[in-house]
Amino acid sequence: MVNFIIRRLGLMVVILFLVSIMIFSLVHITPGDPARMMLGQEATEEAVEALRARLGLDLPLYQQYLNWAGGILQGDFGNSLKDNTPVLTVLMQKIPVTIQLSIFAFFISLLIAVPAGIIAATRKGTFWDYASTTFALSGVSIPPFFLGILFIYIFAIILGWFPPSGYVPIWEDWKQSILLMVLPAFAVGIRLSAEIARMLRSSMLEVLGADYIRTAYAKGLLGKPVIIGHALRNALIPVVTVSGLQLATFLGGAVITETIFAIPGIGRLVVDAILTRDFPVVQGAVLCMALAVVIINFLTDILYSILDPRIKLSGGN
Amino acid sequence: MKKSMLLITSLILLFILAACNQDKSSSSNATGEKTATEKKSENTLVVGLDDDPPQLDPHFSTSAVDRQVFQNIYDKLVDINEELEIIPGLAKKWEISEDEKSYVFYLEEGVKFHDGTDFNAEAVKWNFDRMLDDSLGLPRTSELSTVDKVEVVDEYTVKIHLKETFGPFLSILTDRAGMMVSPTAVEEKGADFSNAPVGTGPYKFVERVKQDYLLVEKNEDYWGEKPKVDSITYRPYSDENVRTTNFTSGDVDIINKIAAKDVETLKNNPSVTVSEKEGIGFQGVYLNTTTEPFNNKALRQAFDLVIDRKAIVDVALQGTAIPAASAIAPGSWAFDDSIKVKETDIEKAKEIMSEAGYPDGFTFTLKISAKVVEEQIAQMIQSMAKEAGIEVKIETVEFGTMLEQMDNLQFQAARLGWSGRIDPDGNIHSLFRTGGSINYGYSNEKMDQYLDAARSAVEQKDRKEWYKKAMALGQEEVPYIFLYHESDYKAYKNYIEGFEHVPDQMMRFKGVTVQ
Repeated sequence: MVNFIIRRLGLMVVILFLVSIMIFSLVHITPGDPARMMLGQEATEEAVEALRARLGLDLPLYQQYLNWAGGILQGDFGNSLKDNTPVLTVLMQKIPVTIQLSIFAFFISLLIAVPAGIIAATRKGTFWDYASTTFALSGVSIPPFFLGILFIYIFAIILGWFPPSGYVPIWEDWKQSILLMVLPAFAVGIRLSAEIARMLRSSMLEVLGADYIRTAYAKGLLGKPVIIGHALRNALIPVVTVSGLQLATFLGGAVITETIFAIPGIGRLVVDAILTRDFPVVQGAVLCMALAVVIINFLTDILYSILDPRIKLSGGN
Repeated sequence: MKKSMLLITSLILLFILAACNQDKSSSSNATGEKTATEKKSENTLVVGLDDDPPQLDPHFSTSAVDRQVFQNIYDKLVDINEELEIIPGLAKKWEISEDEKSYVFYLEEGVKFHDGTDFNAEAVKWNFDRMLDDSLGLPRTSELSTVDKVEVVDEYTVKIHLKETFGPFLSILTDRAGMMVSPTAVEEKGADFSNAPVGTGPYKFVERVKQDYLLVEKNEDYWGEKPKVDSITYRPYSDENVRTTNFTSGDVDIINKIAAKDVETLKNNPSVTVSEKEGIGFQGVYLNTTTEPFNNKALRQAFDLVIDRKAIVDVALQGTAIPAASAIAPGSWAFDDSIKVKETDIEKAKEIMSEAGYPDGFTFTLKISAKVVEEQIAQMIQSMAKEAGIEVKIETVEFGTMLEQMDNLQFQAARLGWSGRIDPDGNIHSLFRTGGSINYGYSNEKMDQYLDAARSAVEQKDRKEWYKKAMALGQEEVPYIFLYHESDYKAYKNYIEGFEHVPDQMMRFKGVTVQ
């Protein structure tokens, strides 16, 4: 286990290094000049050149990369080209927002998916199975932005239960913060819940047909302990994989949902930064997302071994 | 079964709980500001902007949305009113020399910046010197390129010398070039000034979370008429539907820019006032006169003739604009109604093309940016052109990429407009003059003569004559297809009073009250 962790940590560094080169190159080969974007359509060529020089954009690319990567190693992600705010400060503002939305959405999706998946599997072919499968299919098919608009229309405009959009940090006004998160979290979470429910149903069905379940029943155990204790635990492994990957996607920011609900999360930050060619912000934010994905994958692997002790996390050959 | 019932019940409970909570605090929104019913006790304003302001330093700013915020943090030397007349600002009066080459500004006395720094002639000089500093790469430098030097006459008098006569000078000072920032704050904060802007305006910057909100509060020591609203929260809603929803459902008190499709609905809403103002900018299509096919004047003229501007305005813009004939909108003093909107004439277009050796028409690519309305307009143009045998290929390009390609003249035709300046010079000189700031490749000696003459002419009626000549030449030369002048819309709740809709589209909240 310790070997495994060390190996994975080493791998993480390599991955992040490669990702950093990729982001940097991608950002810099994108057409569109940050100086031109900042100065607007009426600026003269000379003004654009002067600004490029001031921002250090006239240096050779490798040197710009080294400056940037060197800064990161010292905890300095650079400053926004637009207004000189340290990128780290901007990220620290946005990351908690996205994490809050992700956790809410994730929690909601599990709350819906796990019971739905179990019911569908244990009552295969009944009304409940069809209801749950239909829900899952529509959940996967309806895009979150549409659900978002629908939710705003029904719950904010017609019923007036929730504010239509906005964000308040949870430590400032927890009640308002939660209220504001409910609609977007459902809009994002329902899709994931549908995916998990489908996955859980099929993996449950497979497990329920396994010999050891029949043995458990034969030993005279009743339905519930078998389903929860034996079947669910084993059926959860593929579900954990899907959930882990999806959670990582959430942390990449749900751009459209964030836009619809006016949530100042990392997704909107990145899009805004790309459109204005604010390179350091794009680079810093994407690197953070990559880090989140790597960490979640790592945690998912560890969770496997807890769920199924047969899976040994070995440190190599 | 039991489990699912439990789940459904708990979900329902969650919603009811939320609903109850919401009832108790029914009038608080995201920022805790009160909405409609309690508005009278809570003297604040929430403004829905069309984007997150990229820059809070007016000397660095290039985006229109920045200027919305500047109106209330900064004062300008001079301003404009609803009738587009130049009115005093930080300069209570001014004198222009006989030769029109020097301007003396008499400043308001006893004005202080929000950080306590005195506002005086030295501060004005410092501001101009900053804007004229070539090494900073500021967008203001080119606007003020005619300024020779700034002289401090006495503590509250400043004299600005111009290199040559420059008709639009005062009007330029009604925008960012006339906004005075605190010299001490800039020197202390350096590049961070944009994150903590300091001006002399009726509202002081408090804090900002990017893409979330920007808060300003009343400047109790304001030198002019005291502002009436305690604080203003600016919120960016880049999506027009989101902006309108937040406005109609009660969180936002006033919004900037309304989608054409929503104008009628909002006008019919009894608790809302929709204010409409003729725009000062223009929208249209750039033709690249340096390359095939539009280096051929005949083909530019032919394409110009196939376009039905009225149809575009009625269908794609649902009547929220008027067809355009030139870079100068009807509200401007330089507008001349002898310059008429081009009538659609397919037959004549075909004739011109045959004479030029293109009897079967020609093909070109039109670049547009990714917006629904842009696509609609482009498709309409495409089908109009087809009638004359002109094939238009539409290419959707991200905005930043499009600007770069246009800078490098890598386009045949591109759909891009201009928000407009209050002086005609900022529209037509910039567009048609060789090397003009929004000119992409067009050059004509006669045109340059007309525009330079208009710029340096002293009398307005002389300037108008030169602009008329330039507009007529523009219609004949067609380096740019003028499509329409967009109207500007603001919508606000009826409890807001005293809002003046100035044609520069900027929202000034100095005199606004909340009832």
